Amino acid sequence: MLRLAAVAAAALVFAAPAAACAHPRTSLRYLQGQVMCPTCHTTLEMSDAPAAQRIKAFIAKRIAACWTTERIESALVANYGQGILAAPSHKGFDLLAWWLPIVGVLAGALVLAFGVWRWSRRKGPEEPDEPDHPAGSGLDEETERRLDDLLARFD
Amino acid sequence: MTRRLKAAGQALALACVAGLLALLVWSVVHRQHAPGVGAMAPAFTLRRLEGPGKVSLASYRGKPVVLNFWASWCEPCKSEAAVLERDWTTYRGRGVVFLGVDYHDLGSDARRFVNAHALTFPMLEDGSGSVTGRYGISQVPETYVLNRQGRVVAHLRGPITDPGFAGQFQSAIAKAAA
Repeated sequence: MLRLAAVAAAALVFAAPAAACAHPRTSLRYLQGQVMCPTCHTTLEMSDAPAAQRIKAFIAKRIAACWTTERIESALVANYGQGILAAPSHKGFDLLAWWLPIVGVLAGALVLAFGVWRWSRRKGPEEPDEPDHPAGSGLDEETERRLDDLLARFD
Repeated sequence: MTRRLKAAGQALALACVAGLLALLVWSVVHRQHAPGVGAMAPAFTLRRLEGPGKVSLASYRGKPVVLNFWASWCEPCKSEAAVLERDWTTYRGRGVVFLGVDYHDLGSDARRFVNAHALTFPMLEDGSGSVTGRYGISQVPETYVLNRQGRVVAHLRGPITDPGFAGQFQSAIAKAAA
């Protein structure tokens, strides 16, 4: 009976912090992919460097204390600076890092679409076997005019 | 119209290449190197690790400075700490300033380290590593000895407890204080 009471008391003590979380607990695994190791410049999940291990321990402790992802990240930024985060923030100059690739992809798509449109126009509909008129010599207007001038000299 | 478009496209492509080239040149020019012996030590202002306020290197101009870069996760820094504290108590009476710069470290871990090793010389924090980068620090511990004019007298890449460095460290302090 006494043993049962002790087990129940221990369960209550250990369950209390988990139950006290008012929001879903963030995971160490998730944050390890979001935070950089400052000495090896890879994410924490890819590093076993001593500095990375310290940060992992720091994060694990804060998760146990019900800290949110944002709060943990802000604490790390306050300590290490913005460079500790694997992804740039969504404000100020950092926004460029998010928008530039999108702008680049859109610009590339536009260039590609324009190229395809030009190519399809140049190819045009299939040429009839016998053209109605001799135009369409393939020369531009300027060249054609110069050719006419040259030929006129022999008239 | 198409000729103009083509020219615009070519100009744009050229501008992109020129931009990338400029970026490459900028990064090469701004690559951080350790200041060599005789060079001016890069100026900095850093937060105190313990207590409020900031400390700037310029405020120590006129005094020889021992600038030690360390971190709480660095094993050799542990054995070096006691020697640094001993040397600090020896040289402080002669006007030599010791400054510790904790880099890429958690403030709480660093303070625990300072207390555990009973370090009494001023400690500064460089969590982002921006100052450390300007000193070309690649591994801790590393120590600079600066003369009264703020010029580098010695740069020891490794713990001052290393047999090769012990004598060099003492003679650098003597030279800086001369």
